[in-house]
Amino acid sequence: MSIGRMLPNEKPEHPYVLASYAGSLFGNFATRFCSGCGYGIIGQLYTRVFEDLKLDPKLYPTIIGIGCYSQILLIVPAKSQKILALHGRAPAVATGMKMANPKMKPIIFSGDGDCLGIGGNHFIHLCRRNLDCIVLLFNNSIYAMTGGQGAPTTLYGAKSTTTPYKMFENRSDGVKLAIAAGATYVARTTVAHPRTFIKYFKKALKHKGTSVIEIVTPCVTYFGRKNLDSLGAEYLGVKGEKMDTGGKMIDWIKRNTVRINQAKFMSEEELFNKYVIGEFKYDPSKPEYSEEYAKIQKIAMEGK
Amino acid sequence: MSRVEEKRFLKPGRHLLMGNVAMSEAAIAAGLRFFGGYPITPSTEVIEHLAYRLPQVGGVCMQMEDELASINAVIGASLVGVKAMTATSGPGLSLMAETISMAANLEVPFVFCDVQRNGPGTGFVTEPHHNDVGFMRFCGNGEFQVITIAPINCQELFDLTITAFNYAELYRAPTFIMSDAYLGHLHEIVEIPSKEEILERVIERELPDDFVKKFSYKDETTGEYVIPKPPVMGTDYCPGMFLHQPHNYEGLPTPKPMQFIETLIEKINSRKDEICMTEEYKLDDAEIIVIGYGLPVRASYRAVDMAREEGIKVGVFRLITVWPFPDERVKKIVKNARAVIVPELNYTGMIAEQVERVTPLETPVIKIPKVCEFHHPNDILKKIKEVAK
Repeated sequence: MSIGRMLPNEKPEHPYVLASYAGSLFGNFATRFCSGCGYGIIGQLYTRVFEDLKLDPKLYPTIIGIGCYSQILLIVPAKSQKILALHGRAPAVATGMKMANPKMKPIIFSGDGDCLGIGGNHFIHLCRRNLDCIVLLFNNSIYAMTGGQGAPTTLYGAKSTTTPYKMFENRSDGVKLAIAAGATYVARTTVAHPRTFIKYFKKALKHKGTSVIEIVTPCVTYFGRKNLDSLGAEYLGVKGEKMDTGGKMIDWIKRNTVRINQAKFMSEEELFNKYVIGEFKYDPSKPEYSEEYAKIQKIAMEGK
Repeated sequence: MSRVEEKRFLKPGRHLLMGNVAMSEAAIAAGLRFFGGYPITPSTEVIEHLAYRLPQVGGVCMQMEDELASINAVIGASLVGVKAMTATSGPGLSLMAETISMAANLEVPFVFCDVQRNGPGTGFVTEPHHNDVGFMRFCGNGEFQVITIAPINCQELFDLTITAFNYAELYRAPTFIMSDAYLGHLHEIVEIPSKEEILERVIERELPDDFVKKFSYKDETTGEYVIPKPPVMGTDYCPGMFLHQPHNYEGLPTPKPMQFIETLIEKINSRKDEICMTEEYKLDDAEIIVIGYGLPVRASYRAVDMAREEGIKVGVFRLITVWPFPDERVKKIVKNARAVIVPELNYTGMIAEQVERVTPLETPVIKIPKVCEFHHPNDILKKIKEVAK
C-alpha cells in the first residue's frame, strides 16, 4: 500500500466509511505512535468532530504541547493551523492568541506532564481567567516520550523507569485542579468511551469559557508492558493480569473507570487508583475573560 | 481620524517623561497592541503605564502569572499578526530565554525591553548594571543572532523604540531595547514628533505576499538571505504547522540543520551595514578612541570635551546597536589609534572583549569597569591623560 494523500472526491455517507474518510483528511497516513497507543483514536475523533461541525480551521488554531501526542499534529485535519508550543507553555501561547484575536477559539493539546507538571501554573491561571478555549488533557499516567518516567498522574504502586520499585507519591487530579482553579466546563472521559468524547468535545466547542476535557489514554509500551493491572498489590494476594497489548489496556481502562453517578455512592478507598468519568462542572454563567476585557477597552476608549 | 487613532499619539511638543514611560509611549505610537508582562523592579512602570494606555487604543495589556507566560503570550499574539512586546529585568530575562530561543527559530517578530539591574541573583534591584549584555547576545539554547539597541537618554528611548519595532518587523529576529535601572527611571524632556512624522517612520504589520515562502532562506542565484514578511495565523498566509525544528522556508522540517542555522545568523550579519547604527564624535583626528554604549557614553562625551580643551586628540565612537557587533567599522576606527578606552557599566567588559578582538595586537584596550555607579567624566579623563602621556 502506498502512503500518501488519497482524497476521495465526495464525502461518503455511511458512518463506518466515514472513519476511513477521516483518515484521508489527516494529510499524512504515517503516524509515529506505538501499536496500542490511544492518541490515534483521539486524532481520529478530533478530525471527525472538526469535519462534522465544518469548523473553520482559521478560527480554531491548535496549540500542541510537548509529549508523545505532539505527533498528533501529523494526523489532525491538514487544513487546521497548528503550532508546537514549548513544554508546558501551550496555555500561555493560547492566551496571547485569543486576546490578540478574540474571534479565535484556541484548542490546546496537552499531556499530563505538560499540563499538571511543568505547565501547572499556566494551566491554573488559564482556568482562573476563564479564557474561551478548550484544553484536551491527555492522561496516560507516564512520561512516555522520554522513555517511561513517573508522571504527576502515575497511579500508586505502578512501576516506571524513575520509580523502579513502585510509585509512592500522591496522584494529581487534573479535573479537581481545573474545578478548583475556576474552569467552567470540566469533564473526563477515556479513549475506551469515544462517543462520550465526541459529546463532550462538541459541548466544549459551543461553551464560552475554559473547557477542560481530560482523556485517559493507554500507553502500552511504557506503562502496560511494565505493570500488571494489580499495580503492585500482588503481595496482598491480588492476582494481576498482563496489560501488554492495546486491547488488554483498553479493557483495563474500562474496568478501572467509574461513572460519576456511581462514584457519588463510593468511598474514597473504593475510588483509590480509579478514574471517575463524566461531566463534573458546567457553568455558562461565569464571565469570559476576553469579553470582559473588551468592556474595559470600551470604558478606556470613551473615558476622560 | 478615529478616537482610537487620536489616542495613539501624544500631543506633539515637549513632554517631561520618565524613561520607562517614554519607551511605552513610543511602543504605542509604533503600533503595539499586545503587551504581556510581569512586574519586576525596575521595569514595573512599563506595565503600569501600558495597563492604563493600551486599552485606550484597543490594545491588550495582560499581567500574566509569570515571565514564562508573558513571553509565550507575546509570541502567541505576534503569531496572529499583532505587534507585541514585553519588558522585564535580568532575572526575568533568564526565565524568558527558553522562549526567546524558540521565537528566534520560528522568526516571530517581537520587541523585548530589558531594564537591566544588578546581579547575579537578585542583586541590588534598583541599581543599574549592564550585566546582561553578553547574555542578550546568546539568549537561550541554540545558535541565533539577536539585535540589541542601546539608547542613552529618554529622547532616544522614544526614537529608538520605534526603530526597534521596525527592526523586529523587517528582520524577524528577537530585538532588545537595552535600558537600565537608571535610564528607566530618569525624567527628561522628550520632544514628541507629529503624527505624520511618526507614521512615516513606522513599518506596519502587513500580510505577506507569498503563499509558499514563509521563513527566511538563502537565494541560491544571488546569494542573498531573503526575509519574507511574517506569516499570520488565522489567514491563508500561514504554514500548516509551526515546528521549532530546523525547517526550510515552508516551515517543514529539513535534514539540513547547518543550512538553517546559517540562515538564522547570516540574515542579520549579512545586513550589518543597514542594521548597525553608530555615532562618531570628534573622531576625525583622534589618536585615542573611547568606545562605548549606553549611559557611560554620556560621561565620555564630556570627558572628551574636557580633554580636547587640554589639547589631547581624542574622540568617541558610540555603538547604538550593540549586537550585531559592527566589526568592520570598529576595525577601521581603531586601526591607527594609539589606545582604545572602553568604559563599561560592568566588571567583565563584555564589549571590550569584542573590541579587543578587532583591535591590532600592539594597541592597548583599556577597560574602565564600574558596577552600580556611574562613570564620572573625570574617571574617563584621568585614563585619557594617562594614555596620552
